[in-house]
Amino acid sequence: MKNNQIKPNKIRENASPWQGGIAKSITFIVTKDCQLACKYCYLVGKNEKERMKWPVAKAAIDYILSHEEMFPEASVTWDFIGGEPFLEIDLIDQICDYLKTEMFRLNHHWFNSYRFSFSTNGINYHTDKVQAFIKKNITHLSIGITIDGTRAKHDLNRIWKGDAQPERGSYDDVVRNIPLWLEQFPNAGTKVTISSADIPYICESVLHLYSLGIHEVNINCVFEDVWQEGDDKRFEDQLMQLADAIIDGGYYANYACSFFSEYIGKPLDPVNENQNWCGAGKMLSIDAAGNFYPCTRFAAYSLREKRPIIIGNVRDGIDKNKLRPFLTLDRMTQSPDKCKTCEVASGCAWCQGENYDAAATPTIYQRATAICLMHKARVRANNYYWNKLYRKLELEGSREDFEKNKPQVKPIDC
Amino acid sequence: MLQYLVILLDDTSASFCHYHVTKSTPRLMPLDTLKRGIRFGMIENLMIQFIYPNHALPQEYLEVIDTIDHSDIKPLAGDNADADIIVTDNWESDVSKLRDAVVVLRTCWAQFREHYSQLNNWLAVAKRLNVVVTDVERLNDDDREQYKAILETLSKEVEKLYVEGKSPQFNLLTDRMVLTEMNNCNAGDTTITLAPDGKFYICPAFYYDGENQSVGDLDNGLDIKNRQLYSLDHAPICRKCDAWQCRRCVWLNRKTTLEVNTPGHEQCVAAHLERNASRDLMLSLRSRGTFLPDKEEIKELTYLDPFEIATQWN
Ligand code: SF4
Ligand code: SF4
Repeated sequence: MKNNQIKPNKIRENASPWQGGIAKSITFIVTKDCQLACKYCYLVGKNEKERMKWPVAKAAIDYILSHEEMFPEASVTWDFIGGEPFLEIDLIDQICDYLKTEMFRLNHHWFNSYRFSFSTNGINYHTDKVQAFIKKNITHLSIGITIDGTRAKHDLNRIWKGDAQPERGSYDDVVRNIPLWLEQFPNAGTKVTISSADIPYICESVLHLYSLGIHEVNINCVFEDVWQEGDDKRFEDQLMQLADAIIDGGYYANYACSFFSEYIGKPLDPVNENQNWCGAGKMLSIDAAGNFYPCTRFAAYSLREKRPIIIGNVRDGIDKNKLRPFLTLDRMTQSPDKCKTCEVASGCAWCQGENYDAAATPTIYQRATAICLMHKARVRANNYYWNKLYRKLELEGSREDFEKNKPQVKPIDC
Repeated sequence: MLQYLVILLDDTSASFCHYHVTKSTPRLMPLDTLKRGIRFGMIENLMIQFIYPNHALPQEYLEVIDTIDHSDIKPLAGDNADADIIVTDNWESDVSKLRDAVVVLRTCWAQFREHYSQLNNWLAVAKRLNVVVTDVERLNDDDREQYKAILETLSKEVEKLYVEGKSPQFNLLTDRMVLTEMNNCNAGDTTITLAPDGKFYICPAFYYDGENQSVGDLDNGLDIKNRQLYSLDHAPICRKCDAWQCRRCVWLNRKTTLEVNTPGHEQCVAAHLERNASRDLMLSLRSRGTFLPDKEEIKELTYLDPFEIATQWN
């Protein structure tokens, strides 16, 4: 059998998201402030002023929990983002206590099926308040710390805010918290974002994260149009190096990297594989002013060019008409012809917010394709990876074993 | 493919549709712009529809207009001799002036609810009657029941006319019976508008909306970005719908859902109430004898908003 003709039903390399993707994701944008000023950060409107106040958070919770019929999903993920969410740990603690009490009091169907989720820069992870919060909620918690890789790669982008020269990287301030984090969340993964300047560091960064004890590395290229000529070739070279390192070093047995997936790089059926990629509209985000968004990427602070898409607020509730475009959006209707007929289309992602921001008119129906060449480069390296890995496993007679036990990567939400 | 060019002869040209004319000071399209607009229509092979204001046009304008085959949409309040379509938003209009005319009656929901029983007079004289409920996007659940009941009442009037041997044409009740496919406004797809400022707009509503929403001008030609979104095949809800008489108003779409290709709930519900009333009317007429034998029966549906089954095709 040719290596790339593996039956898909044998492969389970991506773990299902929590509750098989049926969880509602509700995001509190608790602050637009952050200690860092990451160079690739899409949050163009970060500031220190817009912090969520308790009455707004409470009104949002009261609205959501009292409209159970509008949120039929079996489970919920209460998500907290910023800026840096742990800057608002007091408010978050108050929100979570209230949520638990209210879900119980109302006998809400989410009471036994919720989790609190955080994406943090990790800087405040060890502080007493954050630790007390973690201990209180540990059974319903997932926390991702963002670390980009080696010190060089991380400090290239993830620098402290301010005008200090030379720029001060945040690597040491984050890495010191990794052992505690992994002790509390041994299966935690990290999320890495690749922009043009990061390409030369990809291979060493992934290996570095493995060496820190992180077994699951989720990486994606930014969707914005930042790519330079030749980046795709450089990207492919890095991924080939990474493929060799993972396979030759035997990491594939216990470590996962989302770059390599057996599902990517295939044509997609126009009818049966017509789903939208992104979950905007099936999620709900709330900002400090009490406005609702289909996803955080549609809030003003995330948008470069366009007006925010506000779908309601904590006082008037959700305007269902504003959700209709999100809920009926499909792949074919938003894609240009080159994507519809692309022979390596599977796994090529998009972000509805970036599509909207980059579109020629204010629409979510124009797919941005800035990552086209990068996806194709990834597909080539990915083909190489699986061909090489399966040949090795077959020669060693360990393929079946690998299939049963292979490490899994949770799909990246965004 | 573009087929029609709407030319607004004046800033106060009458509205023939959902939008309101937000300009109150008359300002004629400059004569040179008019000539160039007509030339554009000729070059692009478009059928031109002129929209007139209440006030009379200078003779030189009439002469220029006459240089091309066209249709005239004129307000009842002005000089409407030779109009192909007469528009009014006045329920008190003298219906005797509408004999054998194609008439557009614009009305808000509140007025419609109050005056609908007069429509049999309009239907009795007009060759065709189009009623446009201008604030259809505000119809709530209570209104919905009332609209249904009103359509039933009007349906009886229409049925009487058929029984008398007449062939009334009434957009809310008879169009769906004779259509075999979608017949929407098609602004931005088959129709484009030239405004007095020499710029193109998807339809007059986008001109009167305020912010500059032009899609090209006479100097540089048409430039409709994301033009595919105005076509039916890029409208995920509408392309599965069979309320073929619906205006599918892209301007209302954008107002209610922020996307030109996605209708709001209320527009869909109103169109389905009309569709269903047409169905009942057709069945009733067929129970009396042969009626439109070459047309298929309109199917019974379990929903009033095709969005409700949207997940089935997503
Ligand atoms: S991909 Fe972008 S728009 Fe989609 S859910 Fe994620 S952040 Fe939002
Ligand atoms: S888009 Fe069409 S239906 Fe809507 S206001 Fe304009 S002309 Fe009328």
